[in-house]
Amino acid sequence: MRDHSGLPLEGHPRPPRALPPVPSDIKDDIPLGRPKKKKPRTKTPLASASLEGLVQTAVHRPSESSEPPHKEPKEHVEAPVPRRQKKTRLPLELETAFTQKTSSPPLLRNENGIDGEPAEEPVIQKPRRKTKKTQPAELQYANELGVEDEDIITDEQSSPEQQSVFTAPTGISQPVGKVFVEKSRRFQATDRSELIKTTENIDVTLDAKPSWTTRDVALSVHRAFRMVGLFSHGFLAGCTVWNIIVIYALAGSQLSDLSNLLQQYKTLAYPFQSLLYLLLALSTISAFDRIDFAKTSVAIRNFLALDPTALASFLYFTALILSLSQQMTSDRIHLYTPSSVNGSLWAAGAEEQVLQPWIVVNLVVAILVGLSWLFLSYRPGMDLSEELLFSSAVEESPDKDKGIKASS
Amino acid sequence: MLQTSSYSLVLSLQFLLLCYDLFVNSFSELLRTAPVIQLVLFIIQDIEILFNIIIIFLMFFNTFVFQAGLVNLLFHKFKGTIVLAAVYFALSISLHIWVMNLRWKDSNRFVWTDGLQTLFVFQRLAAVLYYYFYKRTAVRLGDPRFYQDSAWLRREFTQVRR
Repeated sequence: MRDHSGLPLEGHPRPPRALPPVPSDIKDDIPLGRPKKKKPRTKTPLASASLEGLVQTAVHRPSESSEPPHKEPKEHVEAPVPRRQKKTRLPLELETAFTQKTSSPPLLRNENGIDGEPAEEPVIQKPRRKTKKTQPAELQYANELGVEDEDIITDEQSSPEQQSVFTAPTGISQPVGKVFVEKSRRFQATDRSELIKTTENIDVTLDAKPSWTTRDVALSVHRAFRMVGLFSHGFLAGCTVWNIIVIYALAGSQLSDLSNLLQQYKTLAYPFQSLLYLLLALSTISAFDRIDFAKTSVAIRNFLALDPTALASFLYFTALILSLSQQMTSDRIHLYTPSSVNGSLWAAGAEEQVLQPWIVVNLVVAILVGLSWLFLSYRPGMDLSEELLFSSAVEESPDKDKGIKASS
Repeated sequence: MLQTSSYSLVLSLQFLLLCYDLFVNSFSELLRTAPVIQLVLFIIQDIEILFNIIIIFLMFFNTFVFQAGLVNLLFHKFKGTIVLAAVYFALSISLHIWVMNLRWKDSNRFVWTDGLQTLFVFQRLAAVLYYYFYKRTAVRLGDPRFYQDSAWLRREFTQVRR
């Protein structure tokens, strides 16, 4: 018999109580503070300051009664052991809620065949309640707010027995459906289910927040290119205007000094043609980006509606074709040698015939490019590609949520 | 799922190749002091176009849309890019062959005929359209929707089937 006396002791520290019996205003500390407080109490019951009175009564009571107190349902334990049990468990018992108090003690007594004092009835209940609550306790550590509903007492019941046993019944606290959240230095009662909902929502929003996705990379590249395009629009307009001014200045009044133009301009002609192609290509791509040229229906609709950006794209493309068509003449100017030189491409007197269309085309290109620049400046922020490519994700997300809801 | 770092790397590579292409298209006529320079430039440009086409197809293969077997949807969405890339590649090779053939003996010779001028204009115009569509496709393939199942994808699929 005495060999078994160690069993309850071993069983003692293992399961932490499910619901931390703390006064309601320090409930926030429940899951963390509880197991630490418990262990010292098993060794020195008087250590706990807050429950000192209760503990003392619990300790004294068994010593007054000469009978061996109650044992756990299926264990045969002698007097000293239950005393220790009481030392540790009684305070807990006091703090937790009693729901089945009246019904269970007689049953236990019949099982053990020992009559216990009515004052010790709460002690007998413990094993059952303990086994019930160990699992909820573990769950509780995982989720502080996930308290089982059965542990919450809605209507306050204070048994007469309890009051007769314990001298300080006023400090009893019971788990309730409320959670006390500190807001502006005051604890306010909040509904547990609501709090769980809000914390879940916060988790969802945090998860949904992306860091740096491929879409962001694409968007930044797109914007960077738009900046390059913006630069090229202006630079191209300036270049063509400068070019046409230089041509007319070198050609003299009424294009009377074309040989001078050819002599001076021949080193410039081909480099400028190359630069013109580069800038025109960049500007055209940028203008196409702005009207989202790939979506032909949208682009045509915008063009028919005389949208400035769509017009600018069209003018850029026309300028590009015109400029490319002058590649042959540019090369001819580039390879200019006076007609007196053997093997010259330029026959005497044929300069005007070749150069006049070239000058006109250059003038037209300069006008088209300048107009495009003006049109684009009218609405510099317009970028249909970005809107259509990247905003569709925003529209898509609610659909996605709906889909998830529907599937769940 | 497409990694941001790898996508950035691929996108930079694509833009680098496009920039080289644009540079050669713009300034190859200036860099003709020796025919071999132009030849090397042209060969690299053609390989670059081929590389870009391979990269964009690898990006297609990497999408969820393709892996789910919806090749038709991908082709429908990016047919402009695919067709233009092919056309531009063909035009580039033919122009390069023609130009090199004419200039191989004397690089500073005036070689222009109406036919060459026409081919030149079409090649350069196709180049601009190719840049635009290729850039758009490369940027679009960064959209995470192409790499996961979604309601959007299903909707697109039903639209294509109609």
